[in-house]
Amino acid sequence: MRKFWGIFLVLVLVVSIVAVGCGQKQEAAKEEQKTQEAPKEEAKQETAGDVVKVGWIGSLTGDQAVWGQCEFNTVKMLVEEINAQGGLLGKKLEAVGYDTRGDAMEAVNAVRRLTSQDKVVTIIGPNASGQAIPISTVLEEMKVPDIATVATNPKVTVVDGKTKPFNFRVCFIDPYQGAVAAGYAADVLKFKKAAVLYDVADDYSQGLTEFFIKTFTEKGGEIVAKEAFKSGDTDFRPQLSKIKTANPDIIFMPYFFKEVALSANQARELGINAVLMGGDGWPSEVLLEMAKDAVNGSYFVNHVDFDDPAVQDFKNRYMKKYDRKVELNGYLAHDAFLMFVDAVKRANSFDPVAIRDALETTKIQGITGNIKIGKDTHNPEGKEAAIIKIVDGKYVFQQKYAPSN
Amino acid sequence: MIQFLQQMINGLSIGSVYALMAVGYSLVYSIMNFSNFAHGGIIMLGAYFGFFFLTLFNWPFAVAFLGAAICAAALAVLVERVAYKPLRMRNAPFLYFIISAMGASMFIENFVIATIGPTFKTYPAVFSREPFRLGPLFIGRLDTMMFVISAICLAALIYFIDFTKMGKAIQATAFNPRASALMGINTDLIVITVFAIGGFLAGIAGVLFGMKYTVYPQIGFITIKSFIAAVFGGLGSLPGAVIGSVILGILETLISGYFSSQFRDLISFSLLIIILVFRPIGLMGKSTEEKA
Amino acid sequence: MDWFYIKGILILSGINLMAVLGLSLLTGFTGLFSFGHAGFMAIGAYTAATMGIKLGLPLIPSLLIGGLISGVISLFIGKLTLNLKGDYFCIATLGFGEAIRLILDNVQYFGGARGWPGIPLKIDLWNVAIINVVGILILINLINSRHGRNMIAVREEELAAKTIGIDTFKHKMISLFISAVYAGIAGGMVGYYTGFLQPKMFSMNKSTELTIIVIFGGIGSISGSVLGTLLLTALPEILRAFALWRLVAYGAAVIFIMISRPEGLMGGKEITLKGFIRLLNIRKRSGKAAEG
Repeated sequence: MRKFWGIFLVLVLVVSIVAVGCGQKQEAAKEEQKTQEAPKEEAKQETAGDVVKVGWIGSLTGDQAVWGQCEFNTVKMLVEEINAQGGLLGKKLEAVGYDTRGDAMEAVNAVRRLTSQDKVVTIIGPNASGQAIPISTVLEEMKVPDIATVATNPKVTVVDGKTKPFNFRVCFIDPYQGAVAAGYAADVLKFKKAAVLYDVADDYSQGLTEFFIKTFTEKGGEIVAKEAFKSGDTDFRPQLSKIKTANPDIIFMPYFFKEVALSANQARELGINAVLMGGDGWPSEVLLEMAKDAVNGSYFVNHVDFDDPAVQDFKNRYMKKYDRKVELNGYLAHDAFLMFVDAVKRANSFDPVAIRDALETTKIQGITGNIKIGKDTHNPEGKEAAIIKIVDGKYVFQQKYAPSN
Repeated sequence: MIQFLQQMINGLSIGSVYALMAVGYSLVYSIMNFSNFAHGGIIMLGAYFGFFFLTLFNWPFAVAFLGAAICAAALAVLVERVAYKPLRMRNAPFLYFIISAMGASMFIENFVIATIGPTFKTYPAVFSREPFRLGPLFIGRLDTMMFVISAICLAALIYFIDFTKMGKAIQATAFNPRASALMGINTDLIVITVFAIGGFLAGIAGVLFGMKYTVYPQIGFITIKSFIAAVFGGLGSLPGAVIGSVILGILETLISGYFSSQFRDLISFSLLIIILVFRPIGLMGKSTEEKA
Repeated sequence: MDWFYIKGILILSGINLMAVLGLSLLTGFTGLFSFGHAGFMAIGAYTAATMGIKLGLPLIPSLLIGGLISGVISLFIGKLTLNLKGDYFCIATLGFGEAIRLILDNVQYFGGARGWPGIPLKIDLWNVAIINVVGILILINLINSRHGRNMIAVREEELAAKTIGIDTFKHKMISLFISAVYAGIAGGMVGYYTGFLQPKMFSMNKSTELTIIVIFGGIGSISGSVLGTLLLTALPEILRAFALWRLVAYGAAVIFIMISRPEGLMGGKEITLKGFIRLLNIRKRSGKAAEG
């Protein structure tokens, strides 16, 4: 009986592998037939008849799933909208998205699958630098461009002074955002003593911390406490109690809104009255639900001004379709998609390399601001950050701010 | 001095959070001799039950609280029936139980992500966030309540184990399952009871965490800490689980407060290993040497 | 399926396999359950990358040095923890793995939590395959030697093994050392394959994933480990189309195999040519007679 089960299981798995393989082969064979039948003119740029595939990777599961699912939903929604308007260059689009569980190795495999088997023309995502960096070799091998949404590590697009030819992004990079936050705190808000609480196991949090401290001390401020926690922690009172004795004017909290809400609540419970400040991990309706009073009067750096009509419009469309509130990643995925559409239009082709070339000269107005891709950096250059203040449970836009240096 | 006292309060409250989870762990361990990694999943489900009872059905808090605990107990028993009972029937070694438990916890977490979604759910404000003030010290209202509830649950559990017939049967089974089965104790019933109690405690912990930390699919992740605390105190021992939790909570707090929050876990893990070197069965663990 | 994609899966399987082989010796043949092997992988990965980038060594020597360093560290850890039983050892290794990760998160020389990009890409299907074949051959020789038999004796009845004069501690130590070397080499390959290292890549999930593969493949079987690695690395890829439900199915599959075939796919058996012929004969003779 046991042997039977063992053999049965192996058989099932082998059959399924073969089945998946064959299925794909048949499809591929069909595609080949199609391309043979089709007139030779578009043979090079077309791979799948009238449907062009756009890839997406990111976390659909795991602790980053909130952001990943929002991104993929956004991409799917925009693809539907564009198809409803008759498609792009006369073709219908199709979104193909794969989960990475937030794991670098999975991301590499997902991109291998997207580029070779699904033959996508461009990939949008992932939402973390730890995945965006290792996929670049696959992209370069298969010559397919990628537009990262919120991968903020500078090394996603430039390593050792060399630009990675197929990696782009729509978000700001850590040094910029850290400098914006520190510059605003020191120059505009005139704070002298800052404390930092950060997530030691998170790349985004470490990056922001490093550059916040650098800029803040350069501007003559003093860092009175630098405390850390570890991803997954829910209690921050030991660190906060220590910060309290250092008596800072402002506490910089460069991490995501769930931890922000928890730590803000706990800070107030401990009687800390310092102003709180954060980065683009903050904006979310959930933050206000969880910690409306605790974050009152706090500032954070954001990509968008929430009152902007274009932002409102997108927010409403998303809400209507998914009955969920859009998270920040949605806006960036939206603009990444805009970049893609714009590049295809200008290249007048679905050839991935042509799209890549067009992406290098992107200059569009997205909902997160003016996006002008730098040819040498593949980052959006001079994208202004929006400073938002939380007042009575509302996100109030303060000003566009770029650090003076 | 004030900071030290405040840190002790923080540590105690973190410790009582760990204790609430560690007791459920340890209870199951004392009977089954393996670490039930699905416990974190049950806590998470308890938190979701409490949340939906409060928001969708608008049940009064006490009813929702109890309802969530009962549902969690039922689910814990269900997990036992599906994932552990077949192994128990074959006397499989503890490795298999652990793997099965990890499969269950993966299943539960991702099932919730796929159905309810990964978003964070905020509990309605049942209690005020305004802390009690004791001179310069601040004590959270919810923390106080958690401390009290943990203490009540523990007292009730100890009463149940020490003074009821069922409790004595559980003790006997923990001591020697084969002999107690021969003495006419229904081992299967004991296992169900233990999982139900463990699940009930997980449900209570879940609702309390939900109120304190909001609800999300990975909330069960904190149980790792309580697992470590249970080992600290000695697996299978309920007082050990409580003492281990409180020590771990205070230790972590003092390390972050006075030494380095960056290296907190490194230091607490090193201390754990050192304790185990000197006391390989934890502080109050019973010797499990060659227990059939 | 496209060859480019299959190649990716195969390389990934190869990397996993190296770590699984080592763990298979520790868990499958010696009966020790580790939750910290991702820590050994991390040590190997960072050492190998340092050797390659900072000292300019070629691939194979850097991988070997990575493995050796990880093995040496395992000796220290082993000295402290190998006397612990069951779950206590589990937790000690878990603590070790998390501690390594925390150290790497804090060491800015290696990029801290932000990771270390720009590692040269030197891994392809061929060298992965060769490294694995060599790894398998060494392991088979070891298991068929006196040491291997002693290790199995330790797994089966530690007390009895001790009584007949086997130095159980020494054999556990050898087993841990070799498994750490394998894990270190696997870690080194991760770096040279992805071109990027980040402490996050070596989380506890990675350790549990490896353990699941070992148990899934079958305790005490090298061919089981090979088969298990191939299947469990391919399974999530096959399930990719299920998106959200992928890991739900994976968790269910793990539970299913545990309860239906707790000794794993190949528990204690090996695939050999001889065995295959015998199997055919048995099938022919006994027909449908099931053994239960």
